[in-house]
Amino acid sequence: MTSIPRPLAERRILEVGGSLPVAAAAKLFSDYGADVIKVEPIGGAPMRRLPPFLGDVPNLESGAWHIALDTGKRSVVVDIQTASGREILGRLCPQADLVLIHTTSTLAIDIREDIRALARPPVVVVLTEHGLDGPRSGHIENDTSLFAWTGRMRQHAIAGEEPLRYAPHVAEMQWAATASAAGAAALWAHTDGQPASEIEVSGVEALTGNVDAWFVAWEFMGVEMPRVAGQSQTAYPAGCYPCADGYVVFAAANQPFFGRLCEGIGRPELAADPRFADPVRKPLHFNDFITVLNPWLRARTKHEIFTTLQQYGVMVAPVLDASEIAGDAQAVARQSFVERPLPDGQTAVIAGPPFRMMDGWEAGPPPRVGEHTDEVLRDLGYSSTERLALFRGGVTG
Amino acid sequence: MTSRLLDGLRAVELCEVWAGPMAGSLLGDLGADVVKVESFPRNSMTRPLVSPLPGPGEGPVWERSHIHHLANRNKRNIALNIRSEAGAAVFRDLLASADIFFEGYSAGTVDRMGFDWETAHAINPRLIYASMPGWGAQGPYQGYVTLGSGLDAAGGHTIVRGYPDRPVEDTSPIYHSDATGALALIFAVMTALHRREQTGMGSYIDISQIEVLNWHLPAQVAEWTMNQRLPVRLGNSDTLIVPHGCFRAGGGEAGEDDSWVVVAAETDTQWAGLAEAMGHADWAGRGHPWATIPGRLAARDEVHNAVRRFVGGDTAEHIAETIRRHGAIASPVVAPWSILADPQHTHREWLQSVDHPYAGTHLFPGFLWRVSPDAPSWDRPAALVGEHNHEVLGSLGYSPQAIAQLQADGVIGDRYGG
Repeated sequence: MTSIPRPLAERRILEVGGSLPVAAAAKLFSDYGADVIKVEPIGGAPMRRLPPFLGDVPNLESGAWHIALDTGKRSVVVDIQTASGREILGRLCPQADLVLIHTTSTLAIDIREDIRALARPPVVVVLTEHGLDGPRSGHIENDTSLFAWTGRMRQHAIAGEEPLRYAPHVAEMQWAATASAAGAAALWAHTDGQPASEIEVSGVEALTGNVDAWFVAWEFMGVEMPRVAGQSQTAYPAGCYPCADGYVVFAAANQPFFGRLCEGIGRPELAADPRFADPVRKPLHFNDFITVLNPWLRARTKHEIFTTLQQYGVMVAPVLDASEIAGDAQAVARQSFVERPLPDGQTAVIAGPPFRMMDGWEAGPPPRVGEHTDEVLRDLGYSSTERLALFRGGVTG
Repeated sequence: MTSRLLDGLRAVELCEVWAGPMAGSLLGDLGADVVKVESFPRNSMTRPLVSPLPGPGEGPVWERSHIHHLANRNKRNIALNIRSEAGAAVFRDLLASADIFFEGYSAGTVDRMGFDWETAHAINPRLIYASMPGWGAQGPYQGYVTLGSGLDAAGGHTIVRGYPDRPVEDTSPIYHSDATGALALIFAVMTALHRREQTGMGSYIDISQIEVLNWHLPAQVAEWTMNQRLPVRLGNSDTLIVPHGCFRAGGGEAGEDDSWVVVAAETDTQWAGLAEAMGHADWAGRGHPWATIPGRLAARDEVHNAVRRFVGGDTAEHIAETIRRHGAIASPVVAPWSILADPQHTHREWLQSVDHPYAGTHLFPGFLWRVSPDAPSWDRPAALVGEHNHEVLGSLGYSPQAIAQLQADGVIGDRYGG
């Protein structure tokens, strides 16, 4: 069978900034075929310094985030704070279809102005923490402080106790995925003949505005969503429940799922029991139901519970840890994780395609810092002497 | 006028709850003509959800749930019984007119309705067909059901994001995978449009929402595969950064006893700023044990206690601003009412005031992106059940009489429960 080029094979993407969000925003473009040039600062992108590292040895080439997010990209090290570096960037931009930028607001605005002046400007996506304007424009944040502005950190806590973030960098990843989606739409529109768009993706807005934005409940009803953490005692079972070898998560409070659960545990009569069928009475009888459910759960493993109750159509899932994820039956059958070679001859396990399309996805090796600086500058028309001088002057690396 | 980026594209949505419907709204924000095909006569799941109270306003309860409104802007709505012969015929006509079809039911459900990829491809060879079940379209868990909280659990996220000193059952369910699944669908169908330019044909896309989540969590699996170590619950701390945490303030907008501030100093420079803000510039001075990264790691509890005392002395907003002005990282943990009054959101006119015939006028979150020159706008609030039956079916060539007959036969409808 003849394979066809990956869908984005004709596109060139420029990634500017060196942060985790901009690297993540560019990743899918690379995996689905685009030529992604990662413009890194002298010393390498800061996201290369994020742990964990192979063998706990810190190294710019072996960080898990770099390995996962820089797949198939080319690396060009340029100090874009210098005039010479800005000239290199100025030559790169007209060759790009899409430029993704995450730097200081001031520099991002400058670069955007330069791009506007081009005869054929590419699509521009600027990632900012709070936006390029407004009283908080220019504020620096990290993953956790960004999350704090979104309302979700408070929502995911027990009322009155310390608010909780997601796992490190997960909030930034959602921001990045938002920039990817918007950039992909604008790239398509530009390919389809529309003028290049300018897009701004504020991390706070991307996180506050997506579907799990619980402040809308407050706006609608003037009451805060209950902050009860794990097991809801009013709408149950929902949340984490212990079993023989760990935990399972239920989302089976409402019909038809509650009835299916009752049937699955061999107690179908409970579905019609007024203690549980009447939503007004149900919160008063949490302990009655748990007294039935818990022994059933504790006699079974999480996978037994999962596979048994799924046969009844119950929304239940096992709580897995890092050692179990890649070996789970579904992940193995779908090859949800793949092993990829690293430049030093070692290998790493990374997530496979987030979506499958025939001949669509391939995760190439992550580049070494500045691995492609010379070839890219040569292609831009810099002579050998100029390339040497730029390196000597600390502009490239 | 809303964004024109996807002007001229028609997308057909057959989804419930959050991930798929949110993807539909995002496509609508970008200018696509999104037709939501809503379950009928059974109502879709989010329509009647009352959490924690029934929605405001008067009229049918299924038109007033904020959970439904949040993920259903900028679409047209037809309520159609696809399982009936006449309904299936309407659906075939709809697919023939569309560029994109996406569905979010458990794997195999839509196939059993008679609309698998091969059938849809035969109806419309240029159609992009995206399935986005939680566990993916293929595999041993085919047909299994889930919400986002289950994917978070099976993806290894639940086990690492709770309180370090509390049992797992105290970890709150989250629905993060709905947000990420919606975003992945946008990227996927845009990619498929490029593929359609290459081949002239539509594509089949299999989106597993848990696989989308996997690539958002590379550090979890890497800790195990690289170093055979299980990540542990850290709360808000960081193994390599001190200080890094969330500290109770002495009051603030979120409430007198429930106001908190995130504080971090990731570098020596940020630490120097924080130390100065706390009135102890000497803590970053040469020779002080806390002046260096190893020194602060060794004195984690003492440093955090010092930050805790400082943060507890003022309101969350004032403390965060003081620290930030000195160059360290700090933000108040905002409550819902703070979001609605946030000066940054006000300045950027981010919140959207939306009128709805039953729910009334409300402020909703704004768009996930700003697009120039054609900004998105909230042109349509969540549509009423079957609000666009006549409009959409009319555009497919159905006469008013034929549409009336479909309604009389219960193939289409505009209300639930009789």
